[in-house]
Amino acid sequence: MIMPLINGLKITLKHMFMKPVTLQYPDERPTPSPNFRGLHALKVSHSKAKCVCCYLCPTVCPAKCITVEAGEDQDHNKYAERYEIDMLRCIFCGYCVEACPVDALKMTGEFELANYKREDFVFVKERLLEK
Amino acid sequence: MVNLTIDGKQVTVPKDATIYDAAKSAGIKIPILCHDKKLHPFGGCRMCLVEVEQMKGRQIPACTTPVTEGMIVSTMTPEIIQARKLVLELLLLKHPIDCPVCDAAGDCDLQNLTYEYQVNSNRFQDEKFQHQIDYQNPLIERDMNRCVHCGKCARICDEIVSFGAYSFINRGLEAKIGTEFDGPLNCEFCGSCVSVCPVGALVSRPFKFKARWWSLNKVKTVCSYCGTGCQLTLGVKDNKVLTTVYDENQGFHNGQLCTRGRFGYQFVNSDKRLKTPLVKKNGKLEEASWDEALGLVRQRLADAKNVGASSVAGLVTPRLTNEELYLFKQLFNKGIGSDNIDHSAGYAHDALTAGADESLGYPASPASISDIQTTNLLLVVKTDAYETHPVLGFEINLGVKRKGVNLRIVSDKKGKLSKLPNAVTYVHKPASEVLLFNALAKVIVDEGLADSSASSLPGYDDFVKNLGACAPTAVAAQCGMSADDITALARDYANAEKALIMLPIGLAYPGHGKALAQATINLALLTGKIGKEGCGVLIMGEKNNSQGAADLKVHPVAGGLDAMGILGGCASGTIKTLYVVGENPVISYPNRKKVEAALDAVEFLVVQDLFMTETASKADVVLPACSFAEKNGTFTSAGKAVQRVRKAIDPIGMARSDFEIFNSLYSTLGGDSFKGLSEVFAEIASVVPSYSGFSFDGLDENGSVYSVANKPRFIPSVVDGQESTTGVMALVTGSALNHCGTLSLYGEGPMYVCPEGYVELNSGDAKKLGVEDDQPLTVKSSVGEVKLKAKVSMRMPEGVVFAPYHFSDMSINGITNGAPVTWVTISK
Repeated sequence: MIMPLINGLKITLKHMFMKPVTLQYPDERPTPSPNFRGLHALKVSHSKAKCVCCYLCPTVCPAKCITVEAGEDQDHNKYAERYEIDMLRCIFCGYCVEACPVDALKMTGEFELANYKREDFVFVKERLLEK
Repeated sequence: MVNLTIDGKQVTVPKDATIYDAAKSAGIKIPILCHDKKLHPFGGCRMCLVEVEQMKGRQIPACTTPVTEGMIVSTMTPEIIQARKLVLELLLLKHPIDCPVCDAAGDCDLQNLTYEYQVNSNRFQDEKFQHQIDYQNPLIERDMNRCVHCGKCARICDEIVSFGAYSFINRGLEAKIGTEFDGPLNCEFCGSCVSVCPVGALVSRPFKFKARWWSLNKVKTVCSYCGTGCQLTLGVKDNKVLTTVYDENQGFHNGQLCTRGRFGYQFVNSDKRLKTPLVKKNGKLEEASWDEALGLVRQRLADAKNVGASSVAGLVTPRLTNEELYLFKQLFNKGIGSDNIDHSAGYAHDALTAGADESLGYPASPASISDIQTTNLLLVVKTDAYETHPVLGFEINLGVKRKGVNLRIVSDKKGKLSKLPNAVTYVHKPASEVLLFNALAKVIVDEGLADSSASSLPGYDDFVKNLGACAPTAVAAQCGMSADDITALARDYANAEKALIMLPIGLAYPGHGKALAQATINLALLTGKIGKEGCGVLIMGEKNNSQGAADLKVHPVAGGLDAMGILGGCASGTIKTLYVVGENPVISYPNRKKVEAALDAVEFLVVQDLFMTETASKADVVLPACSFAEKNGTFTSAGKAVQRVRKAIDPIGMARSDFEIFNSLYSTLGGDSFKGLSEVFAEIASVVPSYSGFSFDGLDENGSVYSVANKPRFIPSVVDGQESTTGVMALVTGSALNHCGTLSLYGEGPMYVCPEGYVELNSGDAKKLGVEDDQPLTVKSSVGEVKLKAKVSMRMPEGVVFAPYHFSDMSINGITNGAPVTWVTISK
């Protein structure tokens, strides 16, 4: 009657001294695969965001989480005056990256997106710029 | 009719149709870049190549080839597809692939065709163009690197707008669309070129980068500026009107618009819009709730009603919808019991409500817009017809240039219309129009050119007797025209098979009132040129619903005070409560000082408007109203078309539609409460004879034109002559091309092109005064003086100066007193 219980505890005890199978997060950090779809980043080139504000990402976004507003700079060129992604709505499908005609957007390995306030989940352009 | 076969489909079309038209009517789409249905065929892009069995092996352009009997056309053979791909490859050789930053993307013919024909690679290689981009003007950006040389901009500017700002310049590979001397664009800025550009070579700067074409919600409505009644498609996103969208199938004008219509929409979402009701407390206007503001208005109106309804008056703008105007009238006539209501200073609708009504039995024009192009001779009163109603001006251009219409203009100055082919402009002394028309009638009677039907009309004998002193030789000097010119014009008019008179009316044209309307109608009656196609008199109301206001009789009908009477009553104290809806009398009515004194004197002033106008700042209660983009309803155009206005966005801030405000006031002041617009419209249809048979939901997509029954009679028009004094100049007021009333002051487009008032004078006069363009001048009349910038031009006759009336700073109405001509002295 008691034997199965002892056998079970034995296995438990044995595993306590074995090398763990799972990743010991947060002490150990995972290396996400290169095609992992985490937090977005706006690529930078010549110290400016590459984004030309073509509005294709908000158009293609199935979750309607991207808000873009274009502006005209001194040379009459188009740039993203406002670029926001609401991470609470984002479904990380990666369509935005796929749609981008100038390769200005990528999805990073960043996956720790928890936060305390709803507002903090809205990533504005400065937060999205590639570091 | 001609029968032909296109892609195996039997098609029957008129014999002047092209293969392209025939295919279109059969629902077969032939790709094309250089075609617009308003323009002559061009055959420049070579995209519409088709094969005709009878012309073996040749590929011919569908847009320039007329149909012939028995033609067998194929539009989609493998050879044709190859040829079209080649055309696209060659175009893409030079066209920059900057679709991500080009505003045309999504609405770009080249992009759509490239996608459709799967042109993914290019067999050729070449450098792109390096033309300089024209950013010099604030409305139209010209990037000739993107141009595909379809020539549509140059053709629309020439054929329809008649300005000719563009042309192909240079040769071969260097060829491009250029402006005069390849300089910056400097034109009327109607934006027609932007509307037809198949790519992004011409883009609207106010809309640049604002939104993508596909994300816009497109709402079809009617323009709220002048009385032409152009249909408009608003591009709306996030409760904001961002642009106007071109639709070549819209309205009689085929989507053609002027500066105000195309670039003047910004007033809708202007930051200056009133968002909350305001109530004056301790001499200052403070924000209030609707309950408080409307309660106060209701209380004051009810009190006034008990004391004596004649102490209450209302001034309303004819920019409101028919339903709102009807409710306004009901509110005053039935709810309060006062007949003191009017609009447009009283005189600006006189031509319709008194002139046409007495002469013909209805307050509308005995002609419609379609008559402009079907007539033989067009007699335009004042070249300003182009400035007041630019899209009707385009119709005149088309009539003259395409249909061979003879254009005669009687005007106190020359203008753009004078430059049309074979146009004859008779420049007369200001304010002598009535005399001139009487003289024309006199010639026609004396020379026996009158129609046989004329003498049997009532009032004929009186009319002829009244013409006694109007022989051309007798009035020539007073009119400032030679007797021969008067006789020649009269003969031309009488001998034309069909003739149409166009008469613009408005706040800036005090002379275009009852007398002039009747003089023109008399002339039409005398020659039997009324009630037939291409004949009549087109009296063009100034505002979008001037015609509707006239139809609904929004003016005193039972002995009440008219606009001038109301202001007089305010000053003298007989009017104690004044309700101003949308009007801005301080700027737009003559004699600003007098108007301001009257508004200051009135005990309780309610102003319901979109903006904090000069009039609203004097109010005790200000109610925020809705613009045309925020409401449903109907407008009636100068051509008698009743058209649907559709809501595009929700009201701004706490603003409420005029309908809602009037309905609420009317129901609590003892009237009915209307459930909806269709109920009010049904009541209008039962009260206004010409609207009978119309229903709100049954109105035609292109507007329902009501018909009228002529009950003509001659009414002698009396001339009140004005004498000039030496050393004094005649000031005539008018409309500037880019403005309409005072509303366009809140539209960015019109304000970019024409930001402030000016006084336009002849170059000879300018020389005498020693002034040049943009130098300040002091214009002084018996009423007051203003300082305005000089604009030297060739079109003004000597001794006559012109000033537009729209502007608030240094408004010209500060020195006018409501006479057709103001005599002024001008000094540096």
